[in-house]
Amino acid sequence: MDDYLIGVLSNVGVISFIALSAYLLLLIGEISFGQQAFFAIGAYAAGIATALWGWPLAAGLAWGAAVAGAAAVLVGVPTLRLHGLYFAIATLAFAEMVRLLCELFRYQITIDGEPTGPNGADGFRNIRYIFENDIGPLQFLVLIYALLAAALLGFMLMERSRLGVAFRMIGEDVALAGLQGIAVARFKVLAAGLAGALAGIGGGLYAHLTTYVEPRIFDVMLGVHSLAYGLIGGLGTALGPLLGVLIDIGLLESIRSLAGYRMIIFGGVVAFLLIVRPRGLLDETVVHYVRRTWYQIGRGRGN
Amino acid sequence: MACLPGSMQAADIRAKADVACQPTAGTLTYVCTIRLTDSRTNEPLTGIDLSVGADMPSMPMMHNVRPVKATPGREKGTYQAHIELEMAGEWALQLNLSGKLRDRLVQVLRFEDGEIAREISPAAPRPARQKH
Amino acid sequence: MLELQGLTKHFGGVRAVEKVDLSVAQGEILGLIGPNGSGKSTIVNLICGLFPLTDGRVLLHGTDISDLPPHARVTLGIARTFQNIRLFGQLTVWQNLWVAQNSGEQFGQENFLRRWLGGSRRARGEIDRTLEFFDLAHKSDELAANLAFGEQRRLEFARALAAKPSLVLLDEPAAGMNAEEIDQLDRRIRMLRDDGVTILLIEHHVELVMSVADRIAVLNFGQKIAEGAPADVQANPLVREAYLGTATAA
Repeated sequence: MDDYLIGVLSNVGVISFIALSAYLLLLIGEISFGQQAFFAIGAYAAGIATALWGWPLAAGLAWGAAVAGAAAVLVGVPTLRLHGLYFAIATLAFAEMVRLLCELFRYQITIDGEPTGPNGADGFRNIRYIFENDIGPLQFLVLIYALLAAALLGFMLMERSRLGVAFRMIGEDVALAGLQGIAVARFKVLAAGLAGALAGIGGGLYAHLTTYVEPRIFDVMLGVHSLAYGLIGGLGTALGPLLGVLIDIGLLESIRSLAGYRMIIFGGVVAFLLIVRPRGLLDETVVHYVRRTWYQIGRGRGN
Repeated sequence: MACLPGSMQAADIRAKADVACQPTAGTLTYVCTIRLTDSRTNEPLTGIDLSVGADMPSMPMMHNVRPVKATPGREKGTYQAHIELEMAGEWALQLNLSGKLRDRLVQVLRFEDGEIAREISPAAPRPARQKH
Repeated sequence: MLELQGLTKHFGGVRAVEKVDLSVAQGEILGLIGPNGSGKSTIVNLICGLFPLTDGRVLLHGTDISDLPPHARVTLGIARTFQNIRLFGQLTVWQNLWVAQNSGEQFGQENFLRRWLGGSRRARGEIDRTLEFFDLAHKSDELAANLAFGEQRRLEFARALAAKPSLVLLDEPAAGMNAEEIDQLDRRIRMLRDDGVTILLIEHHVELVMSVADRIAVLNFGQKIAEGAPADVQANPLVREAYLGTATAA
């Protein structure tokens, strides 16, 4: 496979994690502009684990997810008491705080005669796990998509469980959800923690893919995009945010003539879709229709 | 794996790069000269397959600049690559080394139209953050 | 089984509910009537915990539940419907019942994973029976938003019952229904009572209340002005005054 294609697909896969993270919060009706913070925490934690502590990649990624998930729970407990705009602003403020803390964060160990580790605003270079362990770009791509497939499978199972239905109930009508016996506050924190862990995995993969992270990567730009993916792709299924990523990075980016105008077009697409399809392309109605048709075909074959 | 001579070598040698990018006639097109050296001995590194990609730290993964192959330059251990960017600003150049030595080096450069782009020195004060 | 003691709710300066004492006995149907804005719906909201009390207490089986959050009260067996229908429109009819069904007492304090990630097999039979009772079985996989008005009202009622409550609060269930639908509703409420469910019925449709209620309480301006058997309440001059204005008293 062409290196360029591998690169693009790797990016699509990695960014899908943070898109899924924002999607999970959209399911419970909360808009977060701050998922990039957990992406950052995952990236730093996983990078430190493999590059400084010599952990294997799997342990590093799991650690990154765990730290990001725990951070999301800690932040979620106070912020999820807020609703709507207030929650959105709180997440944004938190994410900016994390980014600024990354600029101050120095933790270096000399490895192979070179100082390695997060170095404030200059970032964290030499996360060289894939080079030290001879993992080729294609192998890493397979790893990304295996984890993404696992995450998607998790979403599919969740959507078929009471938990998934409960999340959607909270998203549609919080008070009414409480009257169905759902302990709303606990479920919101659970969703936030899972979303944080998902973003953390994405961050860990990103750090090892590029071998380099710096605070500016975790700008609000990343958060806004990840939020937009779910909103344009659709909130009816976990495939929605992935469709959003494909539309942006896959489709728009591949039209080279758009070059610098792409962000303008992307913004326009988001605005347009929010007006005509407020819950995205693959919204609940579409998903329901597809699912029912699918079962009818299945039943027809059975007879 | 560690017993293979190739990877032994990869583990022993750490590459270091100096990069400077010269603007060319086209808009936002640059010729980058990359000097690769062994970080310990400062010996020039020759015969490496080098490709150069770019990503914007402020918009990670959003711009897929197609990586270009660098060709060996006149001086020993130097390589040249023609890159075309989408917009001015800070870019993280990804130097992908393969062949004799597999590694990736990342350097952040600031590109302005018609100016020579150099690595942003860690010591120097950073320019104000760019809005996009 | 349900007892309200000095129940009071002020919204700013508005005394929506003022020192209301009311008790509902096990297995009875208590009708709660009163002119618009007399505080009927507020009382329902206070019983199920949608907002905090200003003063007073709500007792269920003698236990003070005034400080419990809504979801905990549901677990204790309180379910309700809404005056303006509230459904999860983007979920199927079946899903609307599924979560509610699991919240009732019958599942007890099972561990979280089994309760929320467990399969749907055990739930299915119960839900199908409830849907049949409300003539909704054929709509089981339809999105709630796509149902007709009458079906939505029935679904709301069905969802309240899915939790197997011991107390059901019906907030104007007949609103917008035609005569035939009201007849059906009347029958369903009686069948429910015969099953041992206690019912607090808020209703504007006087005929329905007079027909099914065992006792009736009347509210006016947030205060209880009468309570008793339907015939007595109907004859009460204070009630006539509240409904028809002071002119009749003169």
